[in-house]
Amino acid sequence: MNCEQVREQIPLYLYDELTADTRTALDDHVRTCSACAAELAAHQRLHERLNERPLRLPSPELVVECRSLLEERLAEEAMGWRALLRAWLAGTPVPAASRALAVLGILILGFGAGWTMRPQVEAVPAATVSGPVTAGMTDLSNLRIAGIRQVAAEPQTGTVRLTVDAEQRLDLRGTVDDPGIQRLLIYAVKNYENPGIRRESLELLDRRTNDPEVRDVLIYALLNDRNDGVRRAALSALSELQWDEPIRQTLIQVLTQDANPGMRVASVNLLAEHADDSVVPVFRQLSEKDKNPYVRLKCASTLRAVSGEN
Amino acid sequence: MNGVCLETARTVPASKADVGLAEERALIRRAQQGDMPAFEELVRLHDKNVLRLVVQIVGSDEDARDLYQEAFLKVYRSLGRFRFESRFSTWVYRIVTNVCLDHLRRRRANLEVQAPEPREADIEFFESQAEARPHSNPEQVLRSRQLARQIERALGRLNPRERMVFELKHYQGLKLRAIGEMFGTSEETVKNCLFRATQKLRAQLAEFA
Repeated sequence: MNCEQVREQIPLYLYDELTADTRTALDDHVRTCSACAAELAAHQRLHERLNERPLRLPSPELVVECRSLLEERLAEEAMGWRALLRAWLAGTPVPAASRALAVLGILILGFGAGWTMRPQVEAVPAATVSGPVTAGMTDLSNLRIAGIRQVAAEPQTGTVRLTVDAEQRLDLRGTVDDPGIQRLLIYAVKNYENPGIRRESLELLDRRTNDPEVRDVLIYALLNDRNDGVRRAALSALSELQWDEPIRQTLIQVLTQDANPGMRVASVNLLAEHADDSVVPVFRQLSEKDKNPYVRLKCASTLRAVSGEN
Repeated sequence: MNGVCLETARTVPASKADVGLAEERALIRRAQQGDMPAFEELVRLHDKNVLRLVVQIVGSDEDARDLYQEAFLKVYRSLGRFRFESRFSTWVYRIVTNVCLDHLRRRRANLEVQAPEPREADIEFFESQAEARPHSNPEQVLRSRQLARQIERALGRLNPRERMVFELKHYQGLKLRAIGEMFGTSEETVKNCLFRATQKLRAQLAEFA
C-alpha cells in the first residue's frame, strides 16, 4: 500500500469501514511512514473536533406534537380522493402502466362527470326526488334511512344538500334551520361510516350550536367518535358554546379518557380558560399520572397558573 | 464518535428491539390494506430515529415538524409499493433522506450560494449548551461556542448530498452500504462523497485542529 492509497483509506479506517486485510496493511504502513502517521493523527483530531458539536435531540414534546399533527393529516388523507383511489387500485393486480392509465381514465371520467353535473344543468336522475324540503320534511321523519351519500353546503344559496338512500334515493335541499335537514345531519354524525361525511355534517350543525339537540350531538361526537378529526371538529364547535357544567364534565372526560394526547391537550387549554376549583384535582392527578409526558407537563403548568401551586 | 452515535446500529437504525421482524411485516401488511392503527404503530416504531436525524439536519423544531409530516405522509402514500425487498427501516430512511435532501436544496437555493451563517436558533442552542456546563472556564466556553458555530458553518457549506452522507455516517453511525441503499447508489460513490466532505470539513476547521 503506497502513501496515496493510505490517505484515501484513512477516513474509512477511522469509521471502521475497511476489511481486516486493508486495515492491517494501513497499520503496517503508518508504523513506518511518518508523513502518513501525521495525516492519520490530523484526521483523528478532526474527528475529535467534530464530536464536540452539540447534538440536538428532539424533545418529548416535539415527538408528541409531530405524532398528533400526523394523526390529523392521516385522518384527512383517509377521507380524501387519494384513499378512494388507493383502495380501488389496491384490489386490482395490474402492472404499473395499466394503473397509470386507469388513474388517467378516472381523472377523465371525473372531469367529464363534474362537467356534466355542473350547477347550471338541471338534469335530475329518474329515481331522485329533488327540491326544497321545507314542507315535505315532516314526512321524512318516518323514512327508513339506509345511508347518506352526500352532504354538501351550498354557500351561494345558504342551503345544505343531502343525498339520502331511503326507499328511493332522495336529493334534499334546505337550510340547517330546517328540522328535517337537521335530523338527517344528526343521523349522519351518529351513524354514518364515512368520517368525511360525519365531519361535514358536524361542521354544518356547528352553525346551530344554540340548539340543545345539536349541543347533545356535539358532545356525543366528542366522546364517542372514533375519528380524531371528527372529535377535534366537535371540540372546536363546543368551544364556541356558552360555558356550562355539562361542557365542563365532557371536557374532563376527554382529558381523562381520550386516547389522543392532542385532544387531551386541547381540552386542558379549554378547561384552563374556564378554570375553577373543580378542575384543580384533575390537573393535579394527570400532572403525575397521564401516560403522555407532554400532557403531564401541560397539566402541571396549567395547575401552577390556575392554583398558584409550585 | 459522539456517545449518541456509538449506540446506533451498523445498518439503518432498527425499530424498537422488542418488535420482531415478523411482527413488523404483519403490521406493514395490515397498513397496506388500509389499517390506520397499524400504520400509526409503524410510525411510532421508527419516528424517534427519524426525528433525531431530521432535527440534527434542519436545526429547528419548526422545520423538523414539517419534514416529519412530509416524510411520513410520503411513507403512507407509497406504502402500497413497498415489496419487502429491503428492510422497512431502510425504505423509510430512503424517503426521509430524499425529503431532507430537497429541504437542503431549497435552503441552499434561497441562500443563493452564500455561505450559510448560523441562524438565531443555532446561536441560542450553542449558548444554552455552553451554559449547561457551568464549571467550564470562560475561555473554554468561548472556544466551544466558536467551534460549534464553525462546525455548523462548515457543514452548511457542504453540498446537500455530501451533508447528508456525512450526517448519516459520522453522527448517525450508519454503514456506507446502508447509506448507498438509501441513496440508490453504490458504496463506492458514497465513499467518494464522504471523502470529499471530510476534506472540505478539514479545510474549514483547520484553525481548531
